[in-house]
Amino acid sequence: MNKITNFNIKVVSILIFIGLIVATHNLIIPKNIFYLFLKLIFLIPSVALIVNIANIIPKHTLLFFSKVFGAIVLITLIIISYLSSKRKPDNFSDLFDKWDSFLGIPLPKFLINWPKWLDTPFMHWINKGWKSFIADYGLIFDAIGYGLLRGYTELKGIIVQTPWPIVIIGVIAITYFTSGRKVGTTVFVGFCTFFIGFLNPRFWDKAIETTTMVVIGIAICIIIGIPIGIAMARSEKVRNAILPILDTMQVIPAFCYLIPGIILFGLGAIPAIISIFIYACPPLIRLTDLGIRLVDEEVIEAARSFGASKKQMLLGVQLPLALPNIMQGINQCTMMALAMVVIASMIGTRGLGDEVLLGLQQLNVGAALEAGLAIVLLAIVLDRMTQAYGDKIQERTQPGKKKQ
Amino acid sequence: MKFIKKTILSLTLLAGISFASLSANACSVKIGDFDWDSANIHTAIGSYIIENGYGCDVEVTKGSTNPILAALIDNQLDIIFEHWTDNNVALIDPELASGNLVDLGINTPASEQAFFVDRATSEAHGITSVADLKKPGIWELFKDPEDPSKGRITSCISGWTCYTINLVKINEYGLGDLYTNFDPGSGGALDAAIAGAFAKNQPIVTYYWTPTSLMGKPEIDMVRLTEPAYDKACWDAMMVVVNKIKADGPDAYEPSCANEYKDMALTKLATGTFAADNADIIAFADAYTITTSVVNNMLAYYVDESGGDMEATAMHYLENHSEWEAWVPADVAAKVKASL
Repeated sequence: MNKITNFNIKVVSILIFIGLIVATHNLIIPKNIFYLFLKLIFLIPSVALIVNIANIIPKHTLLFFSKVFGAIVLITLIIISYLSSKRKPDNFSDLFDKWDSFLGIPLPKFLINWPKWLDTPFMHWINKGWKSFIADYGLIFDAIGYGLLRGYTELKGIIVQTPWPIVIIGVIAITYFTSGRKVGTTVFVGFCTFFIGFLNPRFWDKAIETTTMVVIGIAICIIIGIPIGIAMARSEKVRNAILPILDTMQVIPAFCYLIPGIILFGLGAIPAIISIFIYACPPLIRLTDLGIRLVDEEVIEAARSFGASKKQMLLGVQLPLALPNIMQGINQCTMMALAMVVIASMIGTRGLGDEVLLGLQQLNVGAALEAGLAIVLLAIVLDRMTQAYGDKIQERTQPGKKKQ
Repeated sequence: MKFIKKTILSLTLLAGISFASLSANACSVKIGDFDWDSANIHTAIGSYIIENGYGCDVEVTKGSTNPILAALIDNQLDIIFEHWTDNNVALIDPELASGNLVDLGINTPASEQAFFVDRATSEAHGITSVADLKKPGIWELFKDPEDPSKGRITSCISGWTCYTINLVKINEYGLGDLYTNFDPGSGGALDAAIAGAFAKNQPIVTYYWTPTSLMGKPEIDMVRLTEPAYDKACWDAMMVVVNKIKADGPDAYEPSCANEYKDMALTKLATGTFAADNADIIAFADAYTITTSVVNNMLAYYVDESGGDMEATAMHYLENHSEWEAWVPADVAAKVKASL
């Protein structure tokens, strides 16, 4: 793995060459959606090349160079921040005109109070990059948004047009079978579903809108999140690279991506679905990773001694044994998705969150609380359905570790 | 020991406090500021002049409309530099009548609230009035992605009165069957929706208002759609329906009347006691007024170039404009200039 083969070099450099041509000459391929997708695809070989180069350099040289590189970047940033600042003194020597003392030691003033010129212009860079990003890649997001919107409106349309008793019966039937024919859970879920519309007839359609968004958001989370979780469980390097990204996704305030989401996708359901992915996917990825790593070493060894291939090991041993954890991840994902849909009403997303917001803005505590209750009921329904399925799997795969 | 320690501590503390109060300026002014950017600009310019020209200590408190106005009425604050008069008539008028508050005149002569269309679409399809939106094929330009059988008028935030007013207006103008009255959810989302449409060159018809930083940006160029002229009787009839809808929901709509928003002047307020004691600062605040277009430009400078630094924006204004020198005596103007 550490050696870079001749064949690899050839393939990668040819791909990069083609990529550069495509990226620099809009004349060859007209600037349209396919061109943009090509450009993105050609990013992959460039990353692969960097990883390959990093692999052939000895580790201690790499560490040394990364330290030197870091120091150079820091010094350059400080110089840039000084030069680009509007609040810098007229002459460099003015910095040492004003002195103050700290514990009797004289120090130049700029070492005591944080100087206004020591300020990296990150904001300007991000704004500039953001502008050209929208101009260049706006089309891709339009295409993604259009696809998601079609899925959302079609699914919503079907459920909204279905008579409400049939929807309730459908929910009851799904719960009955996923929970392994537990009557108590099923009856409870049926009552909760009924009460959403019973609280206020307006809530029924809105709850369906909210649920549709949550379902589409979770589908995206599963499609993208589970493969990433598997990759993390298999490689330490991948895990180290992805963990900081997951931390960012979980901690960054929702409005940091909700508002740019409007500019990319327009007001409404699509930025909400994208926000669901950003907010709710990390727990699913983490729990998939954890679940696979927690599979008993002895079981893996047994499978290996029977000559299981990597694929057989994953699909036949690791994933089935990790399924209870993955189901827990999906359950967490659902709850967080629901929370995000409510926040997303601040960017014009329809649904139950909309009702809460309206109630609060008009200082109508009753209306807000009523809508809040409907959200809780919806959460209970979704939670019981996914939870019950997870319990059923757990009983099947680990009969010894039954709950209670 | 403990007693001595405590005595020394309290003595030093006392000394510190008395020193602080001795070294403080002769006057101190408490300014109320709001959570929207045009108010922030006026507060920054006003407080810069009071601080550097009159040598007073300035303390700025920022909050949303109701708490700040309540604090002003309670005399916890001295001055506010922007006040949307018509929105708070019921709250402020009795205070003005009793002399608790003093009106300090106009700070921005004209604020607008209206429906706007981006200039490119307006010119290409000849849309200049709300009636033009009814022309065949026009609604398809603004198609609502979530409800493709209608166009989308990006409206005011639901819960604000203007959302319901727009709802009535859209129905009165005969646009109800063609367009949805789309609630963007929050002020930031409305701004982003407009900026996003311009970034992608998509047509947009939206409710908006000035002065705002977005309107001051060179790339945001929108045409105000003309509506039937303001008429008090008609407006009052509309407000009756608006209040009914707010109380009983959208089904309470009934045909009435509709016309344009009245352009309102933004004013300034001070407390009566502060005005009686500080004639010089009140004279300055009274004279203070900046035209709408300058406010829009300052807001754009604040957002795009100053890096969100209000003080830098105020200094930028004071350096590049001279009308403010007439608001203050010559010696104060000289002091402000020297500090820039």
